[in-house]
Amino acid sequence: MIYEQDRTENLDACIKCSACTAMCPVAAVNPLFPGPKVLGPDAERFRLEGLQIGAALLNYCSKCRTCEITCPSGVKITEMITRAQENAKLSGSGKNLQSNIRDYLFGRAEYLGKLATILPGLTNTLLRTPLFRQVLEQALGISSEAPLPTYRKKFNPFGEGHKNRKQVVYFPGCFVTYNDPPTGHAITKVLEHNGYEVIVPPFHCCSTPLEGNGYVREAKETAKKNLALMNPYIRAGVPLITGCTSCGTALKEYAGLDVSASELQAYDLFEFLWALHEQSEFRTDFKEVQVSLGYHSSCHLKAQGIGTPSVRLLRLIPGVRVTDLDQGCCGLSGSYGFKKEKYDTAMQIGNPVFERVRHGVANDEFQSVITECGGCQVQIRHGSGTETFHPVWVLMQAYGLE
Amino acid sequence: MWDGIIIGGGLAGLTAGIRAAERGKQILIISEGAGSLTYSSGALDFGDVGQLLSHEDHPYALLGETVVHAGMEWFQNLFPDYRGSWSEFQEILTPLGAPRKAGIVPRSHNTEPLKNAKVIILMAPYGLKDFFPEIIKTNLLKAYPQCEVEIFPFRTGTFESWHTIGKPVTGMDYTKYWQSQPGVSELKRLLDSLPQTSGETVILFPGLAAAFCEPLKEVLAGTPFPVIEMTSFPPSACGHNLYSALKQKFKSLGGELLTGTGVQSIESHNKVCSRAIVRSKGRPTAFSADSFILATGGIFGGGIEATADTAQETVLGLPLYVPAQWTNSEFLGEQPYARIGIEADRELRPVGPGGKEVLFKNLRVIGRMLAHWDPWTETCGGGVSLATGWFAGNQL
Repeated sequence: MIYEQDRTENLDACIKCSACTAMCPVAAVNPLFPGPKVLGPDAERFRLEGLQIGAALLNYCSKCRTCEITCPSGVKITEMITRAQENAKLSGSGKNLQSNIRDYLFGRAEYLGKLATILPGLTNTLLRTPLFRQVLEQALGISSEAPLPTYRKKFNPFGEGHKNRKQVVYFPGCFVTYNDPPTGHAITKVLEHNGYEVIVPPFHCCSTPLEGNGYVREAKETAKKNLALMNPYIRAGVPLITGCTSCGTALKEYAGLDVSASELQAYDLFEFLWALHEQSEFRTDFKEVQVSLGYHSSCHLKAQGIGTPSVRLLRLIPGVRVTDLDQGCCGLSGSYGFKKEKYDTAMQIGNPVFERVRHGVANDEFQSVITECGGCQVQIRHGSGTETFHPVWVLMQAYGLE
Repeated sequence: MWDGIIIGGGLAGLTAGIRAAERGKQILIISEGAGSLTYSSGALDFGDVGQLLSHEDHPYALLGETVVHAGMEWFQNLFPDYRGSWSEFQEILTPLGAPRKAGIVPRSHNTEPLKNAKVIILMAPYGLKDFFPEIIKTNLLKAYPQCEVEIFPFRTGTFESWHTIGKPVTGMDYTKYWQSQPGVSELKRLLDSLPQTSGETVILFPGLAAAFCEPLKEVLAGTPFPVIEMTSFPPSACGHNLYSALKQKFKSLGGELLTGTGVQSIESHNKVCSRAIVRSKGRPTAFSADSFILATGGIFGGGIEATADTAQETVLGLPLYVPAQWTNSEFLGEQPYARIGIEADRELRPVGPGGKEVLFKNLRVIGRMLAHWDPWTETCGGGVSLATGWFAGNQL
């Protein structure tokens, strides 16, 4: 977050070139969305004078941060919009009861997951029932067309339990815990294969969904609960690993809450494995895997500023060919694309990705798509009809662990 | 461990990255922003090379004619959608319809067909932002007095909701539409609907940007009359498409591009750089390489931070050439601050004051960051980026 005294200075840095709006994926598909320049620095002038303008429009920002990367003057546009959203939320403007209830629920992926996985079969049947989806749309504003992920029996991290002097703490995240436990097991196996004991404390949600739906105070509280669970390991210098890029971004932002940046050793899974590789501690006893894959880089991976370590690492495996799709946001942006009024926008935002995938598959460039983010996996599968999975599965195959 | 790390992903940085990756090098580009090509017209200016070669400290003079020539040729082989020639300028149209000279230009921008035209049909897309057909018409009549100019207004269904709320459509938005499947069909229909005239009619089409888009090029090649494009005000689709094409080329050669965050420092020992420390989320990440290239741009690109009385190089704090007087009262005249930058030897390695001592043995400086050139009065911005980028990528 930028400091109060920098606010006006950062605002004045905007030279009104409109490049951010020209590159904004939401503005390109939704004419009613005035774009980052107007909602960011332009409206900020009024907000500094206490005037709220376009409060309802603020929520259309998908937080992909393309504007900040594009801006030649380093204006923190997404931050301005996020802060304005928080203030609008506090003052209650731009929202109705329905979207309040819905955003309350979407912010709590953990409770939704717990509820849904009591009887995952029933949940999935209901979520596939058109009538139930109509009810969800009418009552809660959750799009009946949205690709809500299926639920599975909750991730059970125990059972592998190899004791080793080298330890890592694994943060599975809600998607692995409630929707994709097999990927959690795969990540555990790959880490164990590299000589690590994998510890999984009973973590809560990372807090990204809370923040994304505007519950900033609750997000901080949840983060602090997780930090309390991590505390003994942080003190012992045990690295913290996650395979989810949204959780990864959130965990890295914990630095500064109850822990200093230097103490908190939070890593994206592939970032960690690459670091091992650089120290010649990463096992490369690979079997050949003949596969061509398209790689989608999630917005939250880009936000971490660590490059694309999974692409680097998978290219070490004989036979694996990885094509970087080099497209923007898939459009889902957490729960943004599940919302009734945003579903179409989200699908249009993701269209360049879907088209690129369809083109690649049709031309035999690759057969399936890998991406670390569970949300991107769901959305790209939905939009392009192509199989998507977490890149760790390629390592599983190469290690012969499947 | 990379063979090379390039800091900055604009025209110069990507050029160096592609050239090195072509030669089988493992390259990482770390780019805080998205370069400034989107602010450029998409045409690359080389300036009067022969004359600039004789300016003692000019980047062209450091590299010599062979290298500048090689950079130009390499680019054209890389992107056949661009044309240019070592011995003559290309003529293109400004966003206001006046002809100007440039070095290498997107093929469809070359104004050659206008020289023999009798009729120019100026396509006027409804609601196109920063587009002034009447001024363009006046300028065209001045430059091509043998021509009649007809303005042909049209609107496509796609932007109706934009028009309804009175929102202008940017050239970038129009281009995205033309490049989509429905856009291609609509363009074909639109061009077919134009009055069939003699071979002396030329269509002038703003907001199109056909380079790098196969379906669009196909439509344009199938018309009975030449269709030419014009440059636009920033943000420009042509500049942006060139940026995308360079990025794509770099990635397809196995290069890795890290965007959105910058390098906070570079570790070195005995004048040899070893690691770039990146401002990544939570804690910095170190990336090691054998060689480094600094392509962080000038004052606009963020490589040089200028205040009212000082200028600073932002990554390594390298010494800069700074003229005694920064500005000149003549607004469009030569502005001395344009020549602020790092002084380098013939290998493009940064040198200390006096030009004797090489500050880092495995670091090259390229593009806008170099001292002693002025992209505005010398019109050589594209040429310097290509020549220095190509050279650094070739030596790495």
